Amino acid sequence: MNPNKGCEECPLNPAENLVRLGVKMDQHDFLVALAGNPNTGKSTVFNALTGLHQHTGNWPGKTVARAEGGFLYEKKRFKIVDLPGTYSLLSTSHDEEIARNFMLFGQPHVTVIVAEASRLERNLNLVLQILEITERAVLCLNLMDEARRHGIQIDTAKLSAELGIPVVPTAARQGEGLNALLKTIHDVAMGTLSCSPKRFQTGTSDLSEALTILVGKLEKAFPGLSNARWVALRLLAGDEQIIEAVRDGQLQSLAGANG
Amino acid sequence: MVEKRSDRERESILSTAASLRWEVGNDLQTSLMESIYQNASRISDQVVIADKSKARLAWEHRLEWLLTSRWTGFPIMFLVLAMVFWLTISGANYPSQLLSGLLIEQLYPVLKTFGADLHLPWWLSGLLIDGMYLALAWVVSVMLPPMAIFFPLFTLLEDFGYLPRVAFNLDSLFQKAGAHGRQALSMSMGFGCNAAGVIATRIIDSPRERLIAMITNNFALCNGRWPTQILIASLFVGALAPAGLASLVSAAAVVGITLLGIFLTFATSWWLSNTILRGEASTFSLELPPYRPPRILQTLYTSLIDRTVFVLWRAMVFAAPAGAVIWLVANVHFGGSTLAEHLIDLLNPFGVLIGLNGVILLAYVIAIPANEIVIPTILMLTVLSSGTPDLGHGAGVMFELSNNAAYMAVFKAGGWTLLTAVNLMLFSLIHNPCSTTLYTIYKESGSLKWTVVSALLPLLMGFLACYFVATLWQL
Amino acid sequence: MVEESLEKLLIAVVGLVMLWALFRPVSGFFWRMLRASRQSDRVLIEDGLKHLHDCEYKGLQCTIQSLAGALSINGERAVRLVTRLEALHLVRWDGNLLVLTTLGRSYALRVIRIHRLWERFLADQTGIPEPEWHAAAEKQEHRLSEQEANQLASKMGHPRFDPHGDPIPTLSGELPPMKGKPLSELKTGEFAEIVHIEDEPETVYAQLVAEGLYPGLLIQMLDQSNGKVRFAAQGEEILLAPVLAANITVEPAKRLPETVSGTSLLADLQPGETAEVVNISRACRGLQRQRLMDLGIIPGTVLQVGMRSAAGDPVAYHIRGAVIALRREHTKQINVLRVEENQHESQ
Repeated sequence: MNPNKGCEECPLNPAENLVRLGVKMDQHDFLVALAGNPNTGKSTVFNALTGLHQHTGNWPGKTVARAEGGFLYEKKRFKIVDLPGTYSLLSTSHDEEIARNFMLFGQPHVTVIVAEASRLERNLNLVLQILEITERAVLCLNLMDEARRHGIQIDTAKLSAELGIPVVPTAARQGEGLNALLKTIHDVAMGTLSCSPKRFQTGTSDLSEALTILVGKLEKAFPGLSNARWVALRLLAGDEQIIEAVRDGQLQSLAGANG
Repeated sequence: MVEKRSDRERESILSTAASLRWEVGNDLQTSLMESIYQNASRISDQVVIADKSKARLAWEHRLEWLLTSRWTGFPIMFLVLAMVFWLTISGANYPSQLLSGLLIEQLYPVLKTFGADLHLPWWLSGLLIDGMYLALAWVVSVMLPPMAIFFPLFTLLEDFGYLPRVAFNLDSLFQKAGAHGRQALSMSMGFGCNAAGVIATRIIDSPRERLIAMITNNFALCNGRWPTQILIASLFVGALAPAGLASLVSAAAVVGITLLGIFLTFATSWWLSNTILRGEASTFSLELPPYRPPRILQTLYTSLIDRTVFVLWRAMVFAAPAGAVIWLVANVHFGGSTLAEHLIDLLNPFGVLIGLNGVILLAYVIAIPANEIVIPTILMLTVLSSGTPDLGHGAGVMFELSNNAAYMAVFKAGGWTLLTAVNLMLFSLIHNPCSTTLYTIYKESGSLKWTVVSALLPLLMGFLACYFVATLWQL
Repeated sequence: MVEESLEKLLIAVVGLVMLWALFRPVSGFFWRMLRASRQSDRVLIEDGLKHLHDCEYKGLQCTIQSLAGALSINGERAVRLVTRLEALHLVRWDGNLLVLTTLGRSYALRVIRIHRLWERFLADQTGIPEPEWHAAAEKQEHRLSEQEANQLASKMGHPRFDPHGDPIPTLSGELPPMKGKPLSELKTGEFAEIVHIEDEPETVYAQLVAEGLYPGLLIQMLDQSNGKVRFAAQGEEILLAPVLAANITVEPAKRLPETVSGTSLLADLQPGETAEVVNISRACRGLQRQRLMDLGIIPGTVLQVGMRSAAGDPVAYHIRGAVIALRREHTKQINVLRVEENQHESQ
């Protein structure tokens, strides 16, 4: 039952540093959000980290509500929240709202984005959207075994440089790469590993004028806001929650936390 | 003062955004998606090195063709599903008998003696042991073995990636009924247990089609109803045929009822999607995930924990109080006779009108938590109301019998005819889902309205079907 | 004696039941009728204001006659309506023309707002077919309270346009000036984008929808002769009678018009063929449109047709590394350009 078993004999295994806490989480040092497309093995990663047994099928969309669990690593207590799998964060579907609001207002210390190695392009859609929102993120490139079987190789160093966040290849079903993932989560949470996600100039030219005006105004009103462009885009899309966050100044606390 | 200023600043941001929105127009989302995907594909082109020759493994290609082509797709599907059902039914037989022998024949008398030793008052021992314990024992012994076989098998197929192909192949059939191809899977799951089938509708990612699948799942004959069908078919329908053909004819009758259930699933889906669910939003897309080698131990563990134990627990929670109610109804006296007899007299005219009787209707009312206890309840009530307690375990206690002749004696005492049997088979297929399923529908849909529809629609259909059969019969 | 008293008792019971049916609180028949009559009064007022606003927005003149025509009521009733509107300070006379007061305008905008929001809601979040939207919104605009409308708007992300391309007035009554020109003013060879299709009269609208026209569609004017308007859209030629064409408003195209011709429908491709997505037709809306975009069906995406299912209908497509089955009813709404296999490889 222990998905990590395959690596317990490895010489460099710091397994004694990992204690799976299941759902017993009264207080925690760090909050970790787990996001990703449906059917990328997100729940498998969650189970491997927490020792819980959420059912995972070869189907998209098994995790319906938010699931929480915890683990102890290097004497730090991590609380991890498994967000519903979504393809995107742009629409107003219920799942996407839950995922987005948690990443935005839940202020996790680290967001782990689980992506499927053999469908990187489609998964990057969500990765790039998440990087617009949050600063501290780790890309967990899962199902590497399947990618290898299909003859797909990924230059993770280059990918990491392109995105500006650490990238960890894993095969969570076999327990491969989980130690590296734990260490990366830990280092990002502690601040010893820094992230500077690349933000791309999304949007077409007729948008840029409107965006420039709004971003200027937002940065003046909320000094230190790191994702002003994204907020401006959401305002143009008429997103009620972001409008409210601007109106009641809740956005300021985010600016403070990120800046 | 500072507060005021920043308030004004924020409001001005919002009003600027609002007026800019007229300029941006309607296509914001498409153009955003477009540019995000441009970046995504640029990055992935740079970092992914794909060996095109291995892109799709040869065996995967051949398997895919075999499982979805016109000539092999359907036969393989029927074979696989038939295999799963056969393994479930034949494999569950023995452990079911074992469990019922253990829980009912051995543990029950022990508990009774224990109760007597403790000098429990008769009503308390009756309520706890004859009522609650017996109902629980029945539910566990009938429900647990098939589920413990069926769910892991199904989960294995699911993890391997076969089930999405089944949905893919069957979708056009379901599309004609306004439903989603994945309903094929929640329906198959329903043959194991309707509550599990309703949970399985989670994989249907379109609101309207998911509701349709939930409401019609009840027409998949669940394993609590198989024994009823088989018993009644072999007692009454099989008896019509010459001795050599009896078992074949009764099997055909059960298959017929199952097929009728599948037909009703499609008919009701079609009706729902064109009437009361017309306005619900609907979408379709079906991802065909790569085949993944299933991990057998993990599957066994998770399917037992997540599906079997979960459903069983829910069923037990409902069955225990029902056992108590059943016992009370049969044992509380009221003006010279039991409450059950009053209720049976009340329900009997309507029961006879639709070709059933008061006993059957009352059994379906008080045994709503689980279809497994319907037959024991019918037996008990029949014995009670026909005044032939020597046929059973004494008045007011649920029981089962060991041979067909004994069953026949009880039913004859209750005045059953062939019509009663046929209509009972129909009504067992077409009536409200058990309360476990209803509760699950409520939890999953989050709506009282659709729960009520799921309960009343099949009930009404069942009454109508039985009424028509009864009327035609008497011609 | 006994029978007689039984009869009387029966009559009394029947009488009581009837009284109850008529007057029981809230849902009694009488109260319902009363509400319906009041409702129709309000409906008339609101429809009248809408007509006046429509005239004002389009720069037309509004008289008692046009009002009576628009609401299909007789002249006498129209006069009574105007008197009523005047008394409520919603309308005033300017010579023999009817003009909205400020109060009247804001009332009209409120009704229009609800109407168009409701159409947007039906289009995006329900499965109600297009021809029924207008009629449903005509009813809903008189029922929904302002507060409910605001809740609806914020839930949908404050949409700016209804599915016909008309702007939705904001809460404070803002409405951008009308843009675009009638289709018939387009010169031969000019490219344009449809920005609005008038949804009244219903029969004309249904014909335009049946032609596959929708706001956002890019077209090219071919010619206007022999009493017909001929233009190209999505690689097809469309012929319209001028009466129909008059209900279409266009604007010079902002986007590249090269996508206007040479496209095919994804549904018409054979297994093994490769194609590049041009766009998803506007006829595909709401959840389904969102879903397709989430799956990576975006202008520019190159996809390959995979296998058909055993029954033939859903067909699997290789889209950005995933295999996704789509139904024909939806692939009919996706416009693509065929890509030759070797050309795709060299990209």
